[in-house]
Amino acid sequence: MSHSHGTPAEQHAAVIAEIKKVTIILSVLTIVELIIGFAMIGMTSDFLRLAAKGTIVILMMAKAFYIVAYFMHLKHEVKNLIMTIVVPLALFIWFIIAFLADGNSYKNLRNKYDRHYQEQATIKVEKKEHGAKHEGTHEVKPADAHEAPASH
Amino acid sequence: MSHEAVLHGHDDHSHEHHDTFLTKYVFSQDHKMIAKQFLITGMVWAVLGGLMSVLFRLQLGYPEASFPWLESLLGKWAKGGQITPEAYYALVTTHGTVLVFFVLTAGLSGTFANFLIPLQIGARDMASPFMNMLSYWFFFAASIVMLSSMFVETGPFSGGWTAYPPLSALGDASPGSKSGMDLWIIAMALFVVSSLLGGLNYIATILNMRTKGMSMTRLPLTIWALFFTAVLGVLSFPVLLSGLILLIFDRNFGTSFYLSDIFVNGVGALSNEGGSAILYQHLFWFLGHPEVYIILLPAMGMVSEIMSINSRKPIFGYMAMLGSLFSIAVLAFLVWAHHMFVTGLNPFLGSVFVLLTLLIAVPSAIKVFNWLTTLWRGNIRFTPAMLFAIGFVSLFISGGLTGIWLGNAALDIHLHDTYFVIAHFHIVMGVASMFGMFAGVYHWFPKMYGRHLNNSLGYIHFWITMAGAYLIFWPMHYEGLAGMPRRYFDFSIWESFKQFAELNRFISTVSMIVFATQLLFLMNFFYSIFKGRRVTTKNPWLANTLEWTTPINPGHGNWPGEIPEVHRWPYDYSKDGVDFIPQDVPVGADETSH
Amino acid sequence: MSTTTTASPTEAKSWGGGKSPFNAEYGKVMMWYFLMSDAFTFGAFLISYGTVRFSTNGWPDPNAVFKSFPFAPEGVNAPLVFVSVMTFILIVSSVTMVLAVQAGKNMDKQGVVRNMILTIIGGIAFLSCQAWEWNHLFHEGAWWGANPFLNADGTASSTNFTNFFFTITGFHGFHVFSGVVINIIMLIMTLMDKFEQRGHYLMIEKAGLYWHFVDLVWVFVFTIFYLL
Repeated sequence: MSHSHGTPAEQHAAVIAEIKKVTIILSVLTIVELIIGFAMIGMTSDFLRLAAKGTIVILMMAKAFYIVAYFMHLKHEVKNLIMTIVVPLALFIWFIIAFLADGNSYKNLRNKYDRHYQEQATIKVEKKEHGAKHEGTHEVKPADAHEAPASH
Repeated sequence: MSHEAVLHGHDDHSHEHHDTFLTKYVFSQDHKMIAKQFLITGMVWAVLGGLMSVLFRLQLGYPEASFPWLESLLGKWAKGGQITPEAYYALVTTHGTVLVFFVLTAGLSGTFANFLIPLQIGARDMASPFMNMLSYWFFFAASIVMLSSMFVETGPFSGGWTAYPPLSALGDASPGSKSGMDLWIIAMALFVVSSLLGGLNYIATILNMRTKGMSMTRLPLTIWALFFTAVLGVLSFPVLLSGLILLIFDRNFGTSFYLSDIFVNGVGALSNEGGSAILYQHLFWFLGHPEVYIILLPAMGMVSEIMSINSRKPIFGYMAMLGSLFSIAVLAFLVWAHHMFVTGLNPFLGSVFVLLTLLIAVPSAIKVFNWLTTLWRGNIRFTPAMLFAIGFVSLFISGGLTGIWLGNAALDIHLHDTYFVIAHFHIVMGVASMFGMFAGVYHWFPKMYGRHLNNSLGYIHFWITMAGAYLIFWPMHYEGLAGMPRRYFDFSIWESFKQFAELNRFISTVSMIVFATQLLFLMNFFYSIFKGRRVTTKNPWLANTLEWTTPINPGHGNWPGEIPEVHRWPYDYSKDGVDFIPQDVPVGADETSH
Repeated sequence: MSTTTTASPTEAKSWGGGKSPFNAEYGKVMMWYFLMSDAFTFGAFLISYGTVRFSTNGWPDPNAVFKSFPFAPEGVNAPLVFVSVMTFILIVSSVTMVLAVQAGKNMDKQGVVRNMILTIIGGIAFLSCQAWEWNHLFHEGAWWGANPFLNADGTASSTNFTNFFFTITGFHGFHVFSGVVINIIMLIMTLMDKFEQRGHYLMIEKAGLYWHFVDLVWVFVFTIFYLL
């Protein structure tokens, strides 16, 4: 089909070789992700954590690209089909930016105007005994969370 | 490899199998029958939704009066002949949900996408007739569930058609938040499935099944509009589905996606924490705004088509029309938060949304100017369809202009949640799309049923509806500017709104007259199906598009012989002194290029 | 303005009507668009998760939560180990799926059957892993509306951590489950020589698209829940 050169047997071999190559690339990318993930344990510097997370997101996009392009065969489709699928996905850019920006703003607004909410975020809680079962729905909530928010 | 055979195999189906009543009218896979099913179900909903609006207008116009017949109609929802506040909110909510989704989405694009896509692109049927049938039956199931929600003990959902939490997420928040809300969610989920099945089918059909010579730039604008409508639906309805799934978890499984810091008198603080009600609004309006264009675009497409035919002139600026459809479709996904300026949205983010929102004015204006220039010096035939098309443009202009007001975050602080908003969206989206739908029905009725609608009744229908639409919604602008809030049960207790009592009564009276006129249209519709004047020629409107090359009553498969080949765009009217040249006429040797 | 002239001869040929501009049958076009719409379903879930996480002051450290694996002694601390196994299972099942599609293109029924069986086994293995993990977390006290874990800084955590985890992995698991069901149907149809009679294995290709999409979603779910 789109692997247009050579006899059917040669084409088949080329496709199998490509699948092998992509499998190896995907595995390597995953292993690199995991290595970064392990490195992040106990990492204290905020900058380094952010950089590690950024790298992981880039690797994630690379993996997505290889799956869509080769496993889902999109790279070998007609250009028209590629464009009609890739272009609408650009809508995700603003979808993500606007939602996350507003989520962040909601946090800042609440921390600024709802002091009770902000205080809650600073109270350390004793770790529950392991194996705590499902008696109530909110086991780790501090008791005063059930009072009316009086500290506005 | 037999790939080619698969690509074209669909055309070769034989359509000579014997039809029973069940396979012909009920479980039909013929796109024309499915279109009629969508249309008639949509009409039933339109009558119910319209009746609801008459009932709550009765309350707003005559807040002190009591009507004994109301109690016999609504039972405990109108104790003593007066609508209760609970019933009022249920009516408002159901009116919104039904009109937006069931009438103007399924009833409009369901009808005309099904009917026109295969006929106008030159295909025997949809890509998958079976999925098409499923699409209708999912819609039917959604209708049944929504209808049944009106008969549960605690009444249908009553927290507004947008179903914002906490009213929708807490079962005890209001009577309608109980099982009425569960049924609302189920109905909407079924509706999403229906619109996905339909939309995928429309897209695949338009892209894959065009007849020979029907290149994308030779498609009638109707088809382009329906194509963008389908794309909008396929990409935005899933987001609503996700939002509703999270809502189901909040209602039934103790999660707090949308709930946080809620204190109820007599109950105390609820244990929900960490969620964000704004998140639901974002998810809802990520569908909700494209939904506005899902409603509007098919009407725009049909109006373009009808205007060109009845002006006997090519549409002005075909490529500009395409470009503006495309940019409206893209912008539809970028502007959703202008519905949320005052909910606690980040003000800076809000200003970005203002900019994007106001950008929509550009393609909208392009469309309006192109319609007007299509009419300019045309040889206009004022058929009822044409009148409704012109009415659409009028409403689109006057409703669109107030959209520019509302798109400003600063003005929105004053205008949000007032009757100004009601006036804006009813004119630009509700009535305008309804006009598009009427135009489509008047124009394509001869193709649907092989008979004509009664013209005189059509003119009466148009003029009363047109005048009525403005008489109902124009005064609401003034009420809104004066601060009269929407969704209030009774304004008579406020000194500042007493001045509007008279006006409200006027609006209510007009709305009843307009509603009665729609019944006249329905009478005309059903009478003409059986007794209307027969269509005697294949092409009664002298139009160019392919549906008028089929027999007067096309069977399943549309063309008895070969599907015609297309040689030109669909707007060759008054070209080289010829009144019209259908698309399947080959280009002459000495023909000028348009 | 002219509509009779088109940009280039090849484009005129592909968009000119009478054939698919994508050289693909309608079912494949529909499958691609369905997957796009499903991408928006998952996208909406994951973006909602991001939004709530961005609007919350603290969040649990995934390494402190997902740190066990089957048959491990109580209290073992092995973050990321089990989920890496799950990830590799899904990637390998995706590879066998590609091989099945490729075998279908060559009309190699035996190859299709063998690779479909391997893919189904991979899918079931993934679902079993997920079932074990859900069960384990449930016994630690986690469920919809219940979150026994603390934020990374030791403060009380919102239940939305577990709410989103169970909802999104559940929705993904539901997709894996339907993928396995579809693959089993495809396997049965292959064994019944349905595709041999039709002369093509295009159905396998479409099922493959769905299966890879499920794998694709897991790439995002895995990264967002377990690594970030």
